Amino acid sequence: MANLTQSTASRLARRIGDRGPVREFLMFALAGELYGVELTRIKEILSPPPITMVPRAPRNVVGVCSVRGLLVTVLDLRRTLNLEERPLTRRGRILLGAAESGEVIGLLVDEVRHVVRLAANEIEPAASALGGDVSEFVLGIGRPAGEFLILLDLPSVVSG
Amino acid sequence: MAELSDKAREEFFSEAQEIIETLSRNLLSLDSAIKAGISDPSLINEAFRAVHTLKGLAGLFGAARLGALSHRLEDVLDDLRLGRIELAQEVLDVLFGAVEAYTRILQAEKADSDEDLDVEQLFVELERIGAGATEHESPVADYELDPGLLAVLTEYEEHRLRANIALQMQLYRLRVQFDLATIDKVLEDMKERAKRHGEIITYLPTGEATSADTIELDLLMASRDDLATLIGSLGADHVVIEEIPRRARRSHPATMPPRRLTALGRGESVGMQPELERGGLEQAASLRSLTQTVRVDIRKLDHLMNIVGELAIVRSAFGRVAEKLRGEGQRKLAAELQRLHRNFDRRLGEMQDGILEVRMVPLGQVFDRLARVVRQISREVGKEIRLVITGAETEIDKLIVEELSDPLMHMIRNAIDHGIEPGQGRVEVGKPLAGTIALNAFQKGNHVMIEVEDDGRGIDLSRLTEKAISLGKLSRSEAQEMSRDEALALIFLPGLSTRESADDVSGRGVGMDIVKTNISKLGGVIDVHSETGIGTKMTITLPITLAIVSALLIQAGKHTLAIPLSSVSEAIAFEEAAVRLVDGREVITLRGQTLPLCRLDRLMALESAPHSTSRRRFVVVAALGQRRLGLVVDFLYGQEDIVIKPLGKSLSAVRGFAGATELGDQRVGLVLDAAGLIEEVLAGIEAPRTLERASG
Repeated sequence: MANLTQSTASRLARRIGDRGPVREFLMFALAGELYGVELTRIKEILSPPPITMVPRAPRNVVGVCSVRGLLVTVLDLRRTLNLEERPLTRRGRILLGAAESGEVIGLLVDEVRHVVRLAANEIEPAASALGGDVSEFVLGIGRPAGEFLILLDLPSVVSG
Repeated sequence: MAELSDKAREEFFSEAQEIIETLSRNLLSLDSAIKAGISDPSLINEAFRAVHTLKGLAGLFGAARLGALSHRLEDVLDDLRLGRIELAQEVLDVLFGAVEAYTRILQAEKADSDEDLDVEQLFVELERIGAGATEHESPVADYELDPGLLAVLTEYEEHRLRANIALQMQLYRLRVQFDLATIDKVLEDMKERAKRHGEIITYLPTGEATSADTIELDLLMASRDDLATLIGSLGADHVVIEEIPRRARRSHPATMPPRRLTALGRGESVGMQPELERGGLEQAASLRSLTQTVRVDIRKLDHLMNIVGELAIVRSAFGRVAEKLRGEGQRKLAAELQRLHRNFDRRLGEMQDGILEVRMVPLGQVFDRLARVVRQISREVGKEIRLVITGAETEIDKLIVEELSDPLMHMIRNAIDHGIEPGQGRVEVGKPLAGTIALNAFQKGNHVMIEVEDDGRGIDLSRLTEKAISLGKLSRSEAQEMSRDEALALIFLPGLSTRESADDVSGRGVGMDIVKTNISKLGGVIDVHSETGIGTKMTITLPITLAIVSALLIQAGKHTLAIPLSSVSEAIAFEEAAVRLVDGREVITLRGQTLPLCRLDRLMALESAPHSTSRRRFVVVAALGQRRLGLVVDFLYGQEDIVIKPLGKSLSAVRGFAGATELGDQRVGLVLDAAGLIEEVLAGIEAPRTLERASG
């Protein structure tokens, strides 16, 4: 796990270096916390269409749905992150992103807020902010204007 | 390889691939022709043309390795075609080697790899064969042929003349008056008719014509029929047929050395026995002639099929609107819409059929490849094998064909290696020396059946069960209770091979289980039938297409599920009271036969519908090959055409589903994998619940 964390940190550090100081994150709410994923990682934000449960599927899979003819597997981000489960409200949305395999995956979130721009010095790498045992999904902690934002690495979330 | 657009590259590869397949087919036909003692010059010619075209193509696309091989191969084929070297099995071996080399080169080019492909040995072999070329002495002088005619024979024509004389054919001269306006057609026509009797070797204008609109040609023909027959068949007012008499054998050989004179080689002779000039014109012509067909990426057809699927949803909406209008008393408008709906429905059906038809390819594509493998393995292991193919024209979805070649290849390897006895062993038990492998394909309803049958020693059941016991796959008492079919099915267990050594072609113990898995992935099943001492027959049952299927929509628990109709034999009412428990498994009796049951809601741990217990339920009988399974479901909705979409990679570990389909009204329904379910339930394996779903 320590190795993972280090690699996450270095990955993050590298990205910051590569892409200049300011990045855009989409902010969303989940189980009372605020999260962010990099905007470029998101293909689309959807109001949830009817989702068909898939028996025998891994626990974090809600089911499958059709997005204009494309079959999309939908994951419950609460289950992926081991958060308390709760039924969706009408504010619930699905974020579409691509897994490392190229498969398009939907992520169920409670509510989408807005886009924030974070400079490098507003992001704490996960390792230094949270110490050792951090999930590889977490890139770091963002602190825009006094808020607390858990930044997720979308490809690893949807691939895990 | 030179820089090319992706599209041009794709075109190049698929065209080269096609040519190589044609070449391979030609060589196989040549192989069987030789074995039957027939000489068919057109086959060598075709092979030569294929290689020639490939050389041109390689040149155009800067594929140097392909070009180098084609160049050398072309020389050898040219020698063969002109009779300078004799077509023997050893020569064919080298030619088949060249086909393999082509395939490797093409793969390397595709991957843009510069790896050393080790074709040097092949080049040496080709060189060696070419060095054996000899100039023949001519028996042509035995005939009273016009020296003027002989002088203008091309080398190829001279070879054909010699070959025909060697076959004891009689030579004839046909003096024919042609109308200049129609000569092309009439000449073609004559050649076609002449084929029944022999071969027209060459033709030459006589220079005498009765009018300015006609031309007189002397046709030199070889035939085994007598003059009267030919006159009866080819004779006409403007045709004079004469036999060319044989001279008394002269003591000295012919002095005339007719070398490649091309007075006839231009223009007018092209339509005849194809005269091949190795120049640019020929190359341009052959490249052009291949553009009759359009190659389409199968994904584009998938896309079209998806659109058809969505249009079908629109169609259902039409129907609903029409119903609604009728309900609101707008009868006239409703009737009009209903008419449009029907029309739309019909056209959509035609479009769907059209797209499906385009996806279909004959199984011959994969059978040809297998024929090559059979030849190769039979020579490797020193067993003589006769391959009998029937039903190569049976059509099946392109995607299925692609996935079939590996499993079939493995089955054939098994048949040759384990099934067919060595030659001596066969003779001792009174079988013909050559083992027979039959590859039969035929359509049966919505399925294509492929049989791989050998007349070998059959599967040794006692050895098979012993091996399974020693591997700990089953206990001795289980083995004793097993039926014959169950015992035969042991060959599909992983790691099982009845051959002790692993030094030969198959017998490595990987194989039939993988074959079975691959076949199930295509929605098919495989059955095995074997008689000791008589042979083994494996039967693969496959759906014709994966693109669109008729399905039965059912409800199980809260789920709406689809079962492909191709795997459903019937649906009956379910009576709880009729269920019997045998060895812990639920069964019912259907027309005197035992039918194992599977309660879908329990197997899949489905949430049950509110009043599912009080309601009437049904049994859908799924049948594939010889196996049947009764699926207990809550409701039958009816039949619908569906487009099956595969579940994403993240769900690839989930068993029991072939994919999902859109049900209209935005919902998605899962499609049951009948073959997989039958497998899972009948094999009695507990479903591996990949990740136990928590109760919450």
